[in-house]
Amino acid sequence: MRSRRPFWVEAAGFLVLALLAAAVSNAVAGPERRLKWIGSYQAKAAAAPVKPTPGAAAAATPSLGAPAGAKAFPPHPDKASADISGEDVVELYSRKTVPFLDARRTSVYRDGHIAGARPFSVWEADVDDKIKAFFAEGTDQSAPIVVYCSGGNCEDSHMLAEKLYLVGFDNVLIYKDGYPDWVQRNMPVTKGSEP
Amino acid sequence: MSGRLASEWLTVRVQFVLAAFFVVAGLAKIADPPGFAHEIHNYGLVPGPLVNAMALVLPWLEVITGVALFLGIARRSAARVLGILLIVFIAALSINLWSGKPVDCGCFGVSTVQKTDADRLKEMKLVILRDIGLLLLAGQILHATRREERA
Repeated sequence: MRSRRPFWVEAAGFLVLALLAAAVSNAVAGPERRLKWIGSYQAKAAAAPVKPTPGAAAAATPSLGAPAGAKAFPPHPDKASADISGEDVVELYSRKTVPFLDARRTSVYRDGHIAGARPFSVWEADVDDKIKAFFAEGTDQSAPIVVYCSGGNCEDSHMLAEKLYLVGFDNVLIYKDGYPDWVQRNMPVTKGSEP
Repeated sequence: MSGRLASEWLTVRVQFVLAAFFVVAGLAKIADPPGFAHEIHNYGLVPGPLVNAMALVLPWLEVITGVALFLGIARRSAARVLGILLIVFIAALSINLWSGKPVDCGCFGVSTVQKTDADRLKEMKLVILRDIGLLLLAGQILHATRREERA
């Protein structure tokens, strides 16, 4: 088929059609597939490992649900997050009061997550609403919150930590080795949409 | 040789292969825009505010241009657009490969296969070679249809 229209006119036509199709497709998509048109992603923040302080220090900086003599995880208002090891995560999990947030995709969350962790996929359109709701629950903003994704090069937990930090949570702790390490430790996991 | 390369018989088949590749790749990404946004972000080349818009529009551009090429509608322009996309993909992969940063291609949406960094770097090289091959196909279409533009 011969075309007498210049290339840029036809290319612009393809682009306009693509924009329209994307707009319609995104408008009818469910929350797991929908995206905000303007992304709010930031580069991975440099997270320094947090050094838990044992014993007496715990009393000076009380952590939510921390038993006497337990390690303290003090807030770090100067940075969005701090990395913690698997041992520290197990210790925080044993307190049963520390919120665990799963930053991976909801579909991955359904396949298996830390028992009790809540889905907070940083890539899905409803993450900001979930953070607002989490804030509205009245969670102590300086108490530890554990965020995890798939370990290794996964940046999702850092991105979620940045979002939490922006609304005022200053004690977000990143499970550096993530879900694979949790499974390797034979710790409790759950499948499905519920924590 | 040039006559055979420019034959309509060959061009129609090349159109079909190139169109099929982009339609399948586009549909896979349309199925999961957040996953594709994640892959784009991993490349580290697109500014944060543009990641989502790109993840939403690019797959549809691939599908629409692929369908146009398959149907022979504005096929020179369709081949050029796909050629430009391939050059962009090759450049994005090459930049990351050059800096030793392993990324998933994201060409067919999110990969669920667990890979090591070495696997990813090896795959990136193969994907660049594949995209160069596809770029040659787009070049064949443009060569074979060069008279259409002059008509």
